Amino acid sequence: MSENSSTVSVIIPTHNRSKSLLRTLDSLRVQTYPLEQFEVVVVADGCTDRTIEMLRNYDAPFALRILEKRNNGPSAARNHGAANSSGRLLLFLDDDVEPTAHLIEAHVQRHRQLIDQVVIGPYIPVFQERDDFIYVARRAWWENKFYSMRQVGHRYSYQDLVGGNLSLKKDLFNRVGGFDSSFPVYVHEDYELGMRLINAGARFTFCSEALAYHHETVDLDRSLQRARLEGRADVHIGRRHPELRPVLPLAPTNMSILSVDRLMMALAFRRQKIGNEFINCLRPILYLLERARLRRRWSILFKGLLSLSYWLGAAEELGTLQELENFLDGEPAHFDDEGDTQLEIDVREGIEVAERRLDEERPASARIHYGHQPVGRIPSQPGSERLRGVHLRPILATELAIPLLKEMALESASTMRSDAGLLYKSSQAHS
Amino acid sequence: MATAILDLEFENLPVEITGLERYNKALVLIRLSGRPVGQALLPVFGGRIGAREMHSTLMNAAGWTMWERWLHDFLGWDNACTTNYVPPLATVAVCTRDRTEDLQRCLEALMQLPDDGQEVLIIDNCPSNDSTRRLVESYSRVRYVREDRPGLDVARNRALREARHEIVAFTDDDAAPDPLWLRGLLRNFDDPLVLCVTGLTMPLELETEAQEWFEHLSTFGRGFRRTMFECSNLSPMAAGKVGAGVNMALRRKVLECVGAFDEALDTGTPTLSGGDTEMFSRILASGYRIVYDPAALCWHRHRRTWKELYRTFYGYGVGVYAYWTRSLLVEGELSVLQFACQWFFRYQLLALVRSLLRRPDSAPLDLILAELRGCATGPWAYLKSRKLLRTKNRQT
Repeated sequence: MSENSSTVSVIIPTHNRSKSLLRTLDSLRVQTYPLEQFEVVVVADGCTDRTIEMLRNYDAPFALRILEKRNNGPSAARNHGAANSSGRLLLFLDDDVEPTAHLIEAHVQRHRQLIDQVVIGPYIPVFQERDDFIYVARRAWWENKFYSMRQVGHRYSYQDLVGGNLSLKKDLFNRVGGFDSSFPVYVHEDYELGMRLINAGARFTFCSEALAYHHETVDLDRSLQRARLEGRADVHIGRRHPELRPVLPLAPTNMSILSVDRLMMALAFRRQKIGNEFINCLRPILYLLERARLRRRWSILFKGLLSLSYWLGAAEELGTLQELENFLDGEPAHFDDEGDTQLEIDVREGIEVAERRLDEERPASARIHYGHQPVGRIPSQPGSERLRGVHLRPILATELAIPLLKEMALESASTMRSDAGLLYKSSQAHS
Repeated sequence: MATAILDLEFENLPVEITGLERYNKALVLIRLSGRPVGQALLPVFGGRIGAREMHSTLMNAAGWTMWERWLHDFLGWDNACTTNYVPPLATVAVCTRDRTEDLQRCLEALMQLPDDGQEVLIIDNCPSNDSTRRLVESYSRVRYVREDRPGLDVARNRALREARHEIVAFTDDDAAPDPLWLRGLLRNFDDPLVLCVTGLTMPLELETEAQEWFEHLSTFGRGFRRTMFECSNLSPMAAGKVGAGVNMALRRKVLECVGAFDEALDTGTPTLSGGDTEMFSRILASGYRIVYDPAALCWHRHRRTWKELYRTFYGYGVGVYAYWTRSLLVEGELSVLQFACQWFFRYQLLALVRSLLRRPDSAPLDLILAELRGCATGPWAYLKSRKLLRTKNRQT
């Protein structure tokens, strides 16, 4: 395939899931985007099933490139695919993701609007006729993830970068160094890339039209295994990006002193063996609670087990509590952003004016005033994008609603004193 | 004396309200730029309410909700749909049976809805004469469907199957929706996990003692704050909290996601009620969400006579226990037992004792006993109803 500026490279890393991969390839046959303008690069990552055979026999109406490599995870596989692709736009799909017909076209369209964009498409759990608690919880997690990104005013963070339906220009991908091939586990490697993209100032956007369905296998074993890997992954992310340590679930500020999390942390670090046994012993109870449909109790136990698995993973990486302390050491208990760029904003001059200023200056944080009176701060968040105009209204309408209303009422107190007094009373009662 | 019902816009309060000679108090629905933000009870002296008490009482009653609403208007921000969301098309369905006079008021109200391309569907359930059909024929924009198998849930299922649009908004024949009712419901369907939206139901009139007691003991109102329910914050066994069938909208795909209404439940069967609550319960249990949004306002004419009220309370008792019986036997929800105990010991027993001791403000004894009697018959009513349904299905 010749180097063509309009060419899109669809990169699919796969590992022993030939049936699922076949479904993904089949849905790429019916794209509204011209078939001759994209190529599909499948990276078979140490496949031992019939994947290669299936691919060789696959009669593709688009350019299909098959790459084989020895198994060392999706990050390396995606990088390998990107290095051996010819398109200017890279579109990463997972092998259990089934794109709808407009997916490629929607990604391409969105990239025409801005440079240095990262376009995230939804891959929502495909409808399954089951209502077991794990499936329900997992589905809600995915739907929430995509729903929150769809909101105008969403402030993107590194955790929004999910790798199953994602596109970005190849030069941006290369500029940040691609996926981290040395990432030790096969979860959250996409978050880690997300962090580097945020740092590089890339614009994340969510594209609802680039819809796909996710055929994920969901069960208890996988959930617990995944939590354990996430524990390890977060340690790795924290090592590579020390500025994220205070916001990782590993940081003590994110737990209350007597929480289940803290208990599980202590158990995982001090009595690793017992921790593992603990999970095995409690699994039948989880099963019984589900049989009796006792949701709340099930949920408490399930969260406890996930937390324990997570900490067992973290303990595998760090070893001792002392190591955890060293890992977090030197990081302030609360993120200190005083030194970062901060914009002073007076909303009395008009919301639109304030929004324009935020768009122009893109500060990490902002201090809000109403006239001369301070209303509050929008703090900078490690791992989140800098402020844009659209972030302002939702924050004023929710977190800063009470102080803003108070200032507005105080200002007009001379004309409507009784109303201001009532507002003051009701906001006191509310807060 | 009776209670007047007033619907007042806060930004446009009248100087004085007169002509309320028949009433000694007034229940006021407070709106801010059209949206309901609170309610207040105002005293009526000599048939009039003065401006001075009105302003501050209403403001106090609405409290924080009003200020929040005002700020959101000022910011041009909407807490329900913050994307560039285009509401889906809807079918409005009214299930009715031999209540032509009420239905006419309901239809008149539905004709006041702005035309957003909605379809209006009347399901005439097992009618004894053709007066409903004739009434509906006089409205050109309304579709008439006759369902001969009796039962409110049968009619609701028919409506879900007949509807041409993605959302089906249900109201009752004895209710009158506000012009912005449908929009208030539809704005909440942006979140794909939301399968159902319920709204605020206010009394259309409080003219008789029976109506006053109904509003006092069993109000349809669920407050003035938009709330999202899912099984993590509300047990499916307490699903009555999300609202009622008089004011609810469902996505049609509820049929494939959680199944149809249970035709052994609700009016027209031995279980008398509970079909709507059981549907809410199954939606929550399957991991989907229900939004309660007071922006979707509808007015309900409560039962006027004491005899009807008595039957309603008895019916509620039967319905709740019938739905719990189903949840226990069909869905295997063990927590039913816990909820039944809680309801009895924390509320029913307490109300009974208070009533026996003739405490001020306690509920009338006959209503409490009616509900308890209903609860006791509920499980058997459900089993009987299922048996009847099976026999009928076999016959057809």
